[in-house]
Amino acid sequence: MMNRRHARGEISLRTQEALHGYAFILLWVVGFALFTFLPLIETFQYSLNRVTVTASGITLNFVEWANYTRALFTDPNFVELLIGYTVETLVSVPIVLIFAMLIAMFLNLRFRFKSVFRTIFFLPIVITSGPVIKELTAQGVASVPGITNMAAVSEFLAELPSALRSPVEYLLTSFILILWFSGVQILIYLASLQKVDRSIYEAAAIDGASGWEAFWKITLPSLATATVVNAVYTIVTLSHFSENKVIRYIYDRTYDIHGGIGYASAMSFIYFGVMVILLGIIYLSLRRWAQRGLR
Amino acid sequence: MSKYAVSKRRSHRFNKMHNAGMNPRGFHVSQIKFYVLLLPLSALMLLPIIFIFSSAFKPLDELFAYPPRFFVINPTLKNFTDLFSRMSSSGVPVSRYLFNSVLITLATVAASIMVSSMAAYALSKKRFGLKRTLFAINNVALMFVPIAVTIPRFLVIERLNLLDTFWVHVLPVLALPVGLFLLKQFIDGVPDEVIEAARIDGAADWQIYWRIILPLIRPALATIAILTFQAAWNNADTSALYINHENLRTFAFYLTTLTTTTTGANAVAGQGIAAAAALIMFLPNLIIFIFLQSQVMSTMTHSGLR
Repeated sequence: MMNRRHARGEISLRTQEALHGYAFILLWVVGFALFTFLPLIETFQYSLNRVTVTASGITLNFVEWANYTRALFTDPNFVELLIGYTVETLVSVPIVLIFAMLIAMFLNLRFRFKSVFRTIFFLPIVITSGPVIKELTAQGVASVPGITNMAAVSEFLAELPSALRSPVEYLLTSFILILWFSGVQILIYLASLQKVDRSIYEAAAIDGASGWEAFWKITLPSLATATVVNAVYTIVTLSHFSENKVIRYIYDRTYDIHGGIGYASAMSFIYFGVMVILLGIIYLSLRRWAQRGLR
Repeated sequence: MSKYAVSKRRSHRFNKMHNAGMNPRGFHVSQIKFYVLLLPLSALMLLPIIFIFSSAFKPLDELFAYPPRFFVINPTLKNFTDLFSRMSSSGVPVSRYLFNSVLITLATVAASIMVSSMAAYALSKKRFGLKRTLFAINNVALMFVPIAVTIPRFLVIERLNLLDTFWVHVLPVLALPVGLFLLKQFIDGVPDEVIEAARIDGAADWQIYWRIILPLIRPALATIAILTFQAAWNNADTSALYINHENLRTFAFYLTTLTTTTTGANAVAGQGIAAAAALIMFLPNLIIFIFLQSQVMSTMTHSGLR
């Protein structure tokens, strides 16, 4: 059948569907390949070289993995910044997720002025980018600087084992900042909450399930996919946040005499690697939880 | 207890769970607990906006006060008059930068929504060979630090002869990984049955995309529009890196030159100008947000995504 059709010069339905798919994605692929993918490959090449910019162009000296070893073993700041970033991300992601989930569940209930509240909680998406957050961090509003100097707090911090101290300190000083990163996440949770059929809750209530049980057995499992998406989104926005310390460091080194493009590229790739590992951990743990929840 | 009473008690409990009926028309005492929780939290969310407004009107001594004070005490317009006087002393008229910014932002938002949503539709609902690979590559690119590719991107743009053109503002940001990622997740939520039904009724692919997918994911589109609007409107880097002609640069770039070229004693006065400029840059974001958020919120309930 297939062969006969091919012989007559017609294309099968499957090929046709594939062609339509490619047609829809073509523009994106071209743009992506030109302005993101090719530069990425080139950056990797830079990371293996010492790059010097001269008037006539860019010259490359192949240095193998020297840039990487320098970033990991010689540079006094980079590894410390990376560890700080990892700790901060691991603290922030659960907070953003839980906060977004709670707010989304509230906003999914029925009460007056709900739309006003929805707008307000969606508002952070115009705060965390651009001039606003720059101005806010410059003025020191995003953090609460005085809090760690308060006697009770500093004593409490001193009591903690050193491994716990920096996450707790970060939590105390940047709590507000963390909450500002939850705009899109609330939206994603709301969208998937609204997909849950309300009659399931009715059925559960008739069977004698309490609201608490309904949350664990119905709401949470149906938010599993949204949670994975949100976790990815949160990590990505936190890591690309323009005031992020690692990003600032890499940026400064790019145009530095002691750094250079090659070195900065190597640091970007290490940073990228750390992000992938973080994402992997969070993704795998959420996946397992999501599957157990659905069973 | 009779069977009726049991079921009545349970239905009462159920109703309580959903707050006294499905559609409360007015205020009810049982709603108080929501406001108790939500009001302080929403105040927290509004803080930055209030701060941006109040710091733009702060005189210098209040801007540098330690500990920083939240509200302005003696509001002044001095920051704005400083800003405007500096504007009038520079060579190129401000309207030129504004016009560039508006045009670039509009083109970017429209084109990137088009490109990303088409790609997201194909990745989500079409079957073809490279589908998984492409999405995986996109996810990898999602995680890569954008600043690391600035210099190679410059070389690509140079080779394409796009330096010092209008297009350099628009083209590189069209295929943004985040937009595709979010839109694909939303299109995944559109049931296949809807598309099958449309196909049986004889709809072509572009009709399915245009008449079914796009209306159904309007909340996601509005979100992406807000995000790309901000990215495009606040973008000063493109003007700094890829543009040499002053009359092709953006308003965002212009404001950063006003606030950062200050030296010496002016660095202090620059803080006031920066606060005023931040407010001016922020206002369009807020306006677009207010304009589009009703799309995000109201259509979500009728989106058929249940």
